[in-house]
Amino acid sequence: MMAAELSPVRKSILPQGGDSWETIAQRELPDTAQSDAVAMLQSWNLHVFMRAAGGVGRIRGDNPILPSDVIFVEPPRA
Amino acid sequence: MYDLVIRNGRVVDGSGMPAFNADVAVKDGRIARIGRVDQAGKREIDAAGKVVAPGFIDPHTHFDAQLLWDGYAKPALSHGVTTVVAGNCSLSLAPLKAEHRMKLVGMFNQIEEMPLKAFKEGVVWDWESFPEYLARIRKGLAINVGQLVGHSVLRLWVMGEAAMERTATDAEISAMQGLLRECLDAGAIGLSTSYVDMDETLKPVPSRYADADEVDALASVLSEYGRILQIVPEFYDPDLTIARLDQLAELSIKYAIPTTFSPLFVSADNVEAVNRVMARVDEQFARGARVWPQVQTRPIDISFSFAVPSLLFIRLPGWYNVMRFGTRDEIIEAFSNPESRAKLVAEASSQMALWSFLRLRHVASEANQQYVGKTLAEIGEMRGVTPLDAMIDLSIEEKLDAHFIAESMGHNQDKDVGGLLKHPRVHIGASDGGAHILSFSTYGDTGYLFGHFVRDKKLLTLEESVRKITSETAAIWGIPERGLLQQGLVADIVVFDPQAIDRGAEVYVQDVPGDGSRYIRDAIGVDTVIVAGGVAWSAAEGYTDDVRGSTLPAPIENPLERIAA
Repeated sequence: MMAAELSPVRKSILPQGGDSWETIAQRELPDTAQSDAVAMLQSWNLHVFMRAAGGVGRIRGDNPILPSDVIFVEPPRA
Repeated sequence: MYDLVIRNGRVVDGSGMPAFNADVAVKDGRIARIGRVDQAGKREIDAAGKVVAPGFIDPHTHFDAQLLWDGYAKPALSHGVTTVVAGNCSLSLAPLKAEHRMKLVGMFNQIEEMPLKAFKEGVVWDWESFPEYLARIRKGLAINVGQLVGHSVLRLWVMGEAAMERTATDAEISAMQGLLRECLDAGAIGLSTSYVDMDETLKPVPSRYADADEVDALASVLSEYGRILQIVPEFYDPDLTIARLDQLAELSIKYAIPTTFSPLFVSADNVEAVNRVMARVDEQFARGARVWPQVQTRPIDISFSFAVPSLLFIRLPGWYNVMRFGTRDEIIEAFSNPESRAKLVAEASSQMALWSFLRLRHVASEANQQYVGKTLAEIGEMRGVTPLDAMIDLSIEEKLDAHFIAESMGHNQDKDVGGLLKHPRVHIGASDGGAHILSFSTYGDTGYLFGHFVRDKKLLTLEESVRKITSETAAIWGIPERGLLQQGLVADIVVFDPQAIDRGAEVYVQDVPGDGSRYIRDAIGVDTVIVAGGVAWSAAEGYTDDVRGSTLPAPIENPLERIAA
């Protein structure tokens, strides 16, 4: 079996350096208004969005996305 | 004359072949003959009516600290486990600079629920490097140990505090690769990483700040040695688990390395989700990847008292913060003060079904003995309060030493669990031995496999069960010369009664350094456990002084030859 023959699964990406909801929205959902795209991404990625950020005064305090996170770029499949 | 002869047993050799009657002779730590043995042995064991099998291999443990004060990894050895893999989930005790020791202890305490006091009173910190740690645990080692390198500690060593803040630079990744090579040359069995765990301040562990390039670079080093990568995925979500196993599959194919993820649980409410995960595993294996899911045999039981933080409360932040950061007096005060108690009750009241179902398992006071063994629903009724209030009141009265148990919380549908255990691409493991010592007993999973799934439920055969926890595990992990009863291989052997083998009742014992306690299960039906030809434990003698455990694999004697190869 080749990679291309794998069954389709929910599409996801791994963040690139410096990624935020906005940059991922721009790259992965370019045809959607940014605020809508960010809202969609957040709703598809509650495991990241609902996580407490890095903590007050910490470098990641304003961005909960970790470099190792799986970010879904589509809703769950039926 | 042989050193040891095991006579009249039924040999289940670990290959999966049907059992057969034969004697097994041992000489110089290795299996010298299997068949009719005429010569006498210096020691002879009559195994009539018993199974003679290769020693069991437990691939997912956290015995890292315990091995420093207990080279037998008690009671795992007495259950027939002759090899354990430690250092899972991104955490190992080496390589570790002195300034990071307390950070790592905090992570072990948070993630693996291991008491701070045990580290304080049971550990003499006299190593920093990985080779130094291995040399340290080799002293008095009765069980074999495959030691993983924790990704979080690699990052700590190279990046210091920045390991918990950011991605690594190219230079730092290169330094981590060099450090990993040093560990693998010294005999590390592979690398572990985690995508879910949090440290003692509830911040992500260092490995979670690594990007894909860093993991790729470390996997490329594993490739030089053909060593394994173990991960903890976001196992609570099948889409996330599939995304992780796809990530693993890419690394496995790119670098021709084995990979494994743990845990994978199946319960009544996630059968379809697990089917999806397993379908993906099958597809990735069909591509040529090796992505072994680890599945434990035992159902999920969780015990707790409020004296130590319990992961059972992780989704109730008010409760968890009190347990995690409060002293004993502060926790009692939080329960006693009407205002704070009301807040806690409000937060927990949506889960009244859970509290009702909990059972009181242990108290110290005479007055409350009458409630032991009863559910909180029953106790609440006897006291005229809600189950939740009964739990709080008993905890106050017992100064937090009231112990409760949530029994059979999941992974308890025999047909579904048995089906997974039998699956050709499922790796039986994930015991977590040595961890979560006040939440559940992580010992006896092998006895439960043979007693429950083989003998009672007949969902697996004896031969396939032995194969899965011996030769198959050895093959997956690249553990040399073990896992089979075969002439010339190392004589790691267990003799057990197939009609009796089981896990004993879960009991609370005080045998952890610092006057600490833990839950364990004693072995039932295991007769003799042999490591490298020596009887390390027997039902008649208990643990012996014949300690012959090794760290596996052996160090690479000439790393330059590996590089040349």
